[in-house]
Amino acid sequence: MANSLLKFLRKLLFVTLLVALMVGWIFFATRPDDKHLYQASLLKSRLLKETPSPRIIVVGGSNVAFGIDSELMELELGIPVINDGLHVALGIAPLNEIKSFLQPGDIVIISLEYYNFTDDPSFYGQPQYLADWVEFSPERIWYIHEPYRQMPSIYTIMLQRKINRQLNYYLYGFSYGAGRNFYSGDQFNEHGDFIGHLGQNNQQFAIADSVYPINNIEGAYIFLEEFNQFALSKGATVFYEAQAHRQTNCERTGKKDLDRFFNRLKTRTTIPLLTNLDQLCLPDEYFYDTP
Amino acid sequence: MLFNSFHFLIFFPIVTTLYFMLPHRFRWGLLLAASCYFYMAFIPQYILILFITITVDYFAGIGIESAQGNRKRWLLIASIVANVGMLAFFKYFNFANENISALAGFIGWNYPIENLEIILPIGLSFHIFQSLSYTIEVYRGNQKAERHFGYLALYVMFYPQLVAGPIERPQNVLHQLHEEHRFEYQRVADGLKWMAWGMFKKVVIADRMALFVNPIYDSPTGHEGPALAFATIAFAIQIYCDFSGYSDIAFGSAQVMGIRLMKNFNHPYFAKSISEFWRRWHISLSTWFRDYVYIPLGGNRAGMRRMALNLLITFLVSGLWHGANWTFIIWGALHGAYIVINGLTEPLWTRLRNVGFAKRFYPALDGISHLTTFGLVCFAWIFFRASSVTDAFYISTHLFSGWSGFISQSVKLIQEGIQTGFWGVVNGFFASVNTLSDLTRSEITLSVVALFILLYIEIRQYRGNFMEQFNLKRPVIRYVVYSLLITAILVLGTSYTGVAKAFIYFQF
Repeated sequence: MANSLLKFLRKLLFVTLLVALMVGWIFFATRPDDKHLYQASLLKSRLLKETPSPRIIVVGGSNVAFGIDSELMELELGIPVINDGLHVALGIAPLNEIKSFLQPGDIVIISLEYYNFTDDPSFYGQPQYLADWVEFSPERIWYIHEPYRQMPSIYTIMLQRKINRQLNYYLYGFSYGAGRNFYSGDQFNEHGDFIGHLGQNNQQFAIADSVYPINNIEGAYIFLEEFNQFALSKGATVFYEAQAHRQTNCERTGKKDLDRFFNRLKTRTTIPLLTNLDQLCLPDEYFYDTP
Repeated sequence: MLFNSFHFLIFFPIVTTLYFMLPHRFRWGLLLAASCYFYMAFIPQYILILFITITVDYFAGIGIESAQGNRKRWLLIASIVANVGMLAFFKYFNFANENISALAGFIGWNYPIENLEIILPIGLSFHIFQSLSYTIEVYRGNQKAERHFGYLALYVMFYPQLVAGPIERPQNVLHQLHEEHRFEYQRVADGLKWMAWGMFKKVVIADRMALFVNPIYDSPTGHEGPALAFATIAFAIQIYCDFSGYSDIAFGSAQVMGIRLMKNFNHPYFAKSISEFWRRWHISLSTWFRDYVYIPLGGNRAGMRRMALNLLITFLVSGLWHGANWTFIIWGALHGAYIVINGLTEPLWTRLRNVGFAKRFYPALDGISHLTTFGLVCFAWIFFRASSVTDAFYISTHLFSGWSGFISQSVKLIQEGIQTGFWGVVNGFFASVNTLSDLTRSEITLSVVALFILLYIEIRQYRGNFMEQFNLKRPVIRYVVYSLLITAILVLGTSYTGVAKAFIYFQF
């Protein structure tokens, strides 16, 4: 039996090495997609690292990336503004990243999307998107919720996305990504605002109906309060800005649900709110989609 | 716990290593504990259901063995009622209740009973049937009653086949659990190869087919015949790779520990008739129904009409076994009808094939038989996969619509492509596929390549013992192939799409 076991272990080791070689080759030979929207996350990380404090960091999903004019804010307030919004599917991972760069005097404005409060994966981030985010900066694996548990799936997804991307690159005749229009990492200004859509005739695109149920994710409020306490301990201040909502969406979501959401924020966290319920529902014509 | 999870990737080597390290007398305990842990990874409290059925069958088995006459029969009935009752409560109560409620509404009766808020325990139909086969075989005198509660529990709960079979018979497995199995290189290596091949079928092929099937079956009314037909064929491949993949992993992981489970699939899509299909598809369930439903009903011993009725009943029950939904019942009824017609027309076909000149057309006749059988099976899969009877009827009645538009558009796209050379043809092909589904080119290409690999291996296995032949190849070739297979499982899966990856048969 000992011989049989040794023979087995020797061959298992050989196959494992071969697999490691193949996987390693795919992993290291395939570079991140330099036109990917998340390419901008490198700019945002650099801004977090290099912009001197005091500064305002606005963090959220694409509502923040597309929705604020940091330059104007900076002019009005006289302190640097960093737009750290990127994509709703990253959940709170960018907030965890901010923790590493917080300095005394920083003001963090959190504006998560309502979609983040639909379920746990939407709040903590969806692996298939987090994989792309980590690919641009490997140390980000530690900013993901429960990194040790998520690591295998994140890296597997990353490998699968690399293979698909590379294959698509060849199969689309090297024009893969052309269909993404201006949703590209190079369409951000020096503050981190997305500007690719400016000057386009966007109003012609009706915004898609996307009303998500706001659920009670217990961990969400605990996380936000822990973040707040951490920021306070670093000498920073945190505010919460509720995502602006189309009037139609406000009606669909229902006042009761929105009330409940605001109450939870008020009762379960000590984060000051910048908006109240009466201010967040805006006329439909203020909103438009991009092509 | 799913076989295709990282959880299992850690669980399996730990359990297997401990299994070979422990003295034989402790192994049943280890495997039982591991099986409990495996099951409790889904919904922990449902382990109680297993405990109850095993306890009932343990005492029923001992009682049946020592009893005679009516008492023996009543003990068997008690065991059947306890097992089927559990199944009826968890799986069929809400279905029956909804139908009674709908009927009551139809006749204007205010029906007061609400549906129960229960989740169907994973794999309930599988372990209930496995447990039932134990008491029935003890009753028939084919199996001695198991006196060791732990071994009986392990027979029902053995983790490789706990949640989706194969539904074993006690004569095959119980004695193997008692025997001591040493580490044998070839057996362990072959077991791992079965696991890897099963995993490839599930992760690379079945899950990739789902990318094509799900969007179309989730909203069939937005699609025409070509998309519906391709999605149905893709589902036929998906369910085969999903379920046979699961069975291969179960077979392989049990083989590593020295336990030989029955093979559940034998290249069913190569069948030339529906009856042959059922001798090759989900063999453990087909033989279960044959032995415990069809034959006790009278089988083919009481004339043609009675045989047809018995077959129909058996397949209706089989449909219902799969799920508490009219779609499954219709699926079962369709197969019942197929097999009755198959049985009635078989003598005619045999006579026709024996006519002298027909022998020259054997290959063509065989081809037609293969295609007809596959077509009929695919048609029935529509009812199996559709979310509702309405959807299934929509799909089945629109299968032949929109083909001329699709064909002329595809021909046009490829003709345009031919004018611009090789890449033009490639672009035309992809554009044509994209009229049916918006999969990316890499997903389409990987699907096609994976299907060719599947077809190649299936043909080789069908013609002979592929694994034995492959084991004779040069070591370098073998190890490169194994490494490629494992790498493919890791990098060619579809986790990146975020679509759930549970095995289809877990829901039963």
